[in-house]
Amino acid sequence: MEHILLRDLDIPDIRNFDVYVANGGYEGLKKAVREHTPEEVIQIVLESNLRGRGGAGFPTGRKWSFIPKDAPIKYVVVNADESEPGTFKDRQILEKNPHQLIEGAMIAAYAIQATAVYIYCRGEFWDLAHALEEEIEAARQANLVGDDVLGSGWNCPVYVHLGAGAYICGEESALLNSLQGLLGQPRVRPPFPAQPGGGLYYAPTVVNNVETLANVPWIILNGAAAYKAIGTPESSGVKIFCLSGHVARPGNYELPFGITFRELIFEHGGGIPNGKKLKAILPSGASGPVLPATGEVLDAPLTYESVAALGSTLGSASFILMDEDTDMVWAAAKMTHFFKHESCGKCTPCREGTYWLERIYRRLLRGEGTMRDLELLKSIPRNMQGGVTLCALGEFAANPVLSTVQHFYAEYEEYVRHAEATREARQAAEQMHDYTLGEAGELPEAVGQGGVR
Amino acid sequence: MTETVTFYIDGQAYQVAKGTNLVDAAKMHDIDIPVFCYHPKLKPVGMCRMCLVELGSLSVNRETGEVERDEHGEPVFRWFPRLQTACTQVVTDGLAVRTTTEAVVQGRNSILEFLLTSHPLDCPVCDKGGECPLQNLTMGYGPGESRFLIDDKIRLDKHVPLGELIYLDRERCIQCARCTRFCDEIVGDDVLAFHERGRRLQIVTISDPPFDTKFSGNTTDICPVGALTTADFRFGARPWELQEEATICPHCPVGCNLSAGTRLDRDAGGKKIIKRIMPRQNEWVNEIWICDKGRFGHHHTRAEGRLEQPMLKQNGAWVPIDWPAAYDLVAAKLRQYGDSLGVLAGPSLSNEDLWELRKLAGLVASEPKLGVWPAAMTGGDLVAQVGVGSGTMLRAVGPETAILVIASDFEEEAPIWWLQVKQAADRGAAVVVANARPTKLDRYARAVVRYRYGEAVSVLNGFAAQALKDKSLTGKLSESRVAGLSQLRAALKGVKPAFGDAGRMLLSAENLIIFAGGEGLSVAQHRELMQAAANLLILTGRAGRANSGLVAVWPGANMQGAYDLGYSAEATQALLDTPPRMWIIGAANPVAEDARAARAITGAEFVVATSLFMTPTSEAADLVLPRQSFAEREGTFTNGMRRVQRFYTVQGIIGDSLPDWKIFAAIGERLNGPKARISAGAVMKDITAHVPAYAQASYPRLAQVERQFPLVGGDDLYYGGTAYFNLSGLGLAIPPVAEDGSAQLEVRPVTVDAPASTDADLSLIPVRVLYDRDVLFEPSRLMHHRVPPPSVELNQADAERLGIADGDRVAVEGDGYQITATARVDGRAPAGYALLPVRLSSTPAPTTPAACTVRKIGE
Repeated sequence: MEHILLRDLDIPDIRNFDVYVANGGYEGLKKAVREHTPEEVIQIVLESNLRGRGGAGFPTGRKWSFIPKDAPIKYVVVNADESEPGTFKDRQILEKNPHQLIEGAMIAAYAIQATAVYIYCRGEFWDLAHALEEEIEAARQANLVGDDVLGSGWNCPVYVHLGAGAYICGEESALLNSLQGLLGQPRVRPPFPAQPGGGLYYAPTVVNNVETLANVPWIILNGAAAYKAIGTPESSGVKIFCLSGHVARPGNYELPFGITFRELIFEHGGGIPNGKKLKAILPSGASGPVLPATGEVLDAPLTYESVAALGSTLGSASFILMDEDTDMVWAAAKMTHFFKHESCGKCTPCREGTYWLERIYRRLLRGEGTMRDLELLKSIPRNMQGGVTLCALGEFAANPVLSTVQHFYAEYEEYVRHAEATREARQAAEQMHDYTLGEAGELPEAVGQGGVR
Repeated sequence: MTETVTFYIDGQAYQVAKGTNLVDAAKMHDIDIPVFCYHPKLKPVGMCRMCLVELGSLSVNRETGEVERDEHGEPVFRWFPRLQTACTQVVTDGLAVRTTTEAVVQGRNSILEFLLTSHPLDCPVCDKGGECPLQNLTMGYGPGESRFLIDDKIRLDKHVPLGELIYLDRERCIQCARCTRFCDEIVGDDVLAFHERGRRLQIVTISDPPFDTKFSGNTTDICPVGALTTADFRFGARPWELQEEATICPHCPVGCNLSAGTRLDRDAGGKKIIKRIMPRQNEWVNEIWICDKGRFGHHHTRAEGRLEQPMLKQNGAWVPIDWPAAYDLVAAKLRQYGDSLGVLAGPSLSNEDLWELRKLAGLVASEPKLGVWPAAMTGGDLVAQVGVGSGTMLRAVGPETAILVIASDFEEEAPIWWLQVKQAADRGAAVVVANARPTKLDRYARAVVRYRYGEAVSVLNGFAAQALKDKSLTGKLSESRVAGLSQLRAALKGVKPAFGDAGRMLLSAENLIIFAGGEGLSVAQHRELMQAAANLLILTGRAGRANSGLVAVWPGANMQGAYDLGYSAEATQALLDTPPRMWIIGAANPVAEDARAARAITGAEFVVATSLFMTPTSEAADLVLPRQSFAEREGTFTNGMRRVQRFYTVQGIIGDSLPDWKIFAAIGERLNGPKARISAGAVMKDITAHVPAYAQASYPRLAQVERQFPLVGGDDLYYGGTAYFNLSGLGLAIPPVAEDGSAQLEVRPVTVDAPASTDADLSLIPVRVLYDRDVLFEPSRLMHHRVPPPSVELNQADAERLGIADGDRVAVEGDGYQITATARVDGRAPAGYALLPVRLSSTPAPTTPAACTVRKIGE
């Protein structure tokens, strides 16, 4: 089957405007603008059951339908701040198939009658962002972007904006703040971005992920029913799965929803190298709970619903695989460090909780942990969840801790046992040192007074 | 009226206006939802998460539309599965909230635990200790013990100066953003911001000079921890040692309500002195804000050099004398010179002082000349006619109100009014700024009107002419009660409406407030300006209504009171034109401020001055009487909106000083006047009996308080800063004459002077700056870095013509004066004018516009 999103795998030079057009590129936009009203476009996307690929899986058509029709200024913002550990799907689209994103964004813009499109790229995408600007210019010269798009009288320029390298700016309201030149911190919602007062420059705004929008041209060209036929009824269409970690063939795999973990990892990814056994899976980068590689997990289909039923989230579908030699405490410490580094600091539980957790892991890894620390690891993350934080980052930060403590508690205990053994040994050594001093003539005070140590 | 809705807290139903913030709504019914970052004067941000509650709503049957009830007939609620922040929720009909469930208690507990993890345990030496929301809420809701290892604590800088006035302790900061939001939302000064992220998120100042705002001290009040402290109070005393005393700011016409934290202080020889000044809530006046001049400008009350006994000049040398001798001497001199007596009343004399001074002068002169100082503005009588009506509340005005600020550098002259007008503009009030030069309020104005100095009146005449032409802009006017209407109409016929857009904005709103300053105007011109403003208000039916009326931006705290009690700038001018043989100068320093006044005073035969310090004016006097500052005594000030407000005895008396009213009354006794009253309150009782406008302003009436919203003082655990709570009086707003429907009003055509020819020389325009070298302010040394050196502002073209560059030393000269100053060429001065900030130089210069030459002088 030909790829829908990763078409660069079928057509190597598709990033060039001419090649993209020669292979049916921008036909979706033309069809949308010439044959459909904006409302019809929203309806088609709604019926296709396309869901947000950024992680939350919110139905895209519904998101678009929230935009008030009468607002004079409306925006489409493309979330290209792909920062989730182990996630590199948007990058491939931006790098190898950028016009499909531009086309999808323009169809979204047409559907809500946006006055401009902003593509917010993470700061590390410096090269991509600059290349993207050139591709947008090519599209503009072909009258597909900018003033009077395709002679419809509708004006919609597309701008690229570079972030400054913050994970939190992938959160849509923090992204909007950053785009406005404010500190990248999430906003209070409501108002949501689609509502007046909640979007970019406080105008109604649709924020969509790169992969989400890249699906849209195909849906317009082939119809909602054709797209919905792919995947499962709830999780429709194709998804790019990112495989990394202990896997033979890491990379992006565009597959329909509903294949199993086992198929993805062992058939497509080539299994675990060096004959090792798979121990644990992070299904959505660092932000979702870790899943132990049990048979039940491996045979579960990859849909939003089934992964949720396993107690984790499909999220951005970034699978980081860990083999049997992986130290889960170390892995959780790495993720905790990441979240501590990326917490924006705006709300208390996340700012203070990530800092505290990181300190505890640091002690554990140094061999100074105690059972008391393990109790804290069970309790602190719980206090960061349950709606107490302003955005989801606080909840995410708690996940790796809670899930590793739940599934791999023995490894934690091992750390503490080792630490206690070391502590006892050290105390014994210190005592020895005292006696040694005493023997050398300087008796400890208590001994000198006839006491017994 | 806003719709009232029913909502439920812990099962109990309450009513509140729809759209009220949930935290405020609960507070109105005395239910606590603790907060750190939320503040009722700021927009909610939901950062600290302290206000977590369970939210729900009445369960309504979709089909019948009826509220579902359980078997006991109680309404059924549907609850959100997760905790929500109350501060980001507004009240809607049927909203339900649970504040005491286990989940809520656990949520609050864990938030406090998080906040305390890296918070230093330095409460015993922290300035906030004792009135600290974090401390209080920890006691109220926090965990009993810490699970955090002290070795894990983050260590940050503890002494970070954010400018010279405010210090930041980074370890204590809990990142609530109240300070940054205050600067951004309330003031509009982009001076503080967050830097970095995560646990490194820190407050930094991003302006140069650092923390460059006139309102910086307010951030220390609203800081919920001891992260921000003032250079003035830092490590100065513990809050629980302080006795909070109510007082009124003596610096400007706003009349901010203050709370003085006082204690018996070792450094003051065991005397009770002011350790800090904080705002005292009065939503009619300053809300809960004060400017840095009011907060830090209190050191004159106990500065070195305060006069401690009466001093007599004998053969050019000062000798101390006792009070009876001083009284006798003044009485004798008054008998001698009674017919040729000049009285100058300073801007910070209280109503009681002014009353006794007037009575004293009346004992010896049939028509005493009662002058005010500074004599740069007039028209207090017109304010009494058409001032703002009862119920005027600046903090509540919005799109229905237009505000005109004319001939004033508003932020420099009345900072808190500026703050409130700026916020009114944010809420949609049409603010129009008219001045001959740019001022900071311009950036919030919907229209800016530029005129040439001296032509301010024509702007108002233009608006009035516009109102005559377009009847839709005119409100209800009962013509029979207005005298001179036909003459005014006739005179305005020939006037071309100018600045039409600005005029329409001002007059299409329901209400109109006019703030009139005196910049660039002589006293005579200022009277015309005030009359033109009164004409406009009367003509358009705006006079005598709430949130409408005329306000003078006086150069002092009680000049409106002086006018209400019979003093005027015209009298001062008359006195300077024909100087009297004897002067009584009460709490003013004209010799230092005005060359012409200096000549008139030094030429007199006997001058008696009441003063706090040896000033150039007291040096020029023959007898100097030590007066008490506002802190040592009781009294009342009438603010620019004609609100009479009481200030109370705050600190111990310095030396043998006495309040001015007592001095004047004692002298009067020796002239067979009535026996001196024993208290300021009794003097006010006299005033209420003799001055009809003040009939209700008795001390008990002025001390009345009411419950004020937002409720930020009091004994709750989370707003802290108990000094806010106003227990001592909200004062009394005196209604303008126009409010009485049967009272006669008068309008009269005003004339516009042709502006002075500026061919050869420049015109000198005295301008007011907030931070000056006034007697009441200069002793506050920690503010000296904010007081600019003497300077004169020139237009680029004038500067080039005169060969002067920015920063050059220049001599500014004119008829009878010469001062040296630093030239500033920064684009604010219009061509042909030299702007001279007053009270910066120790050499007297004109206080009203005058001709001048400016030349460069050597280094």
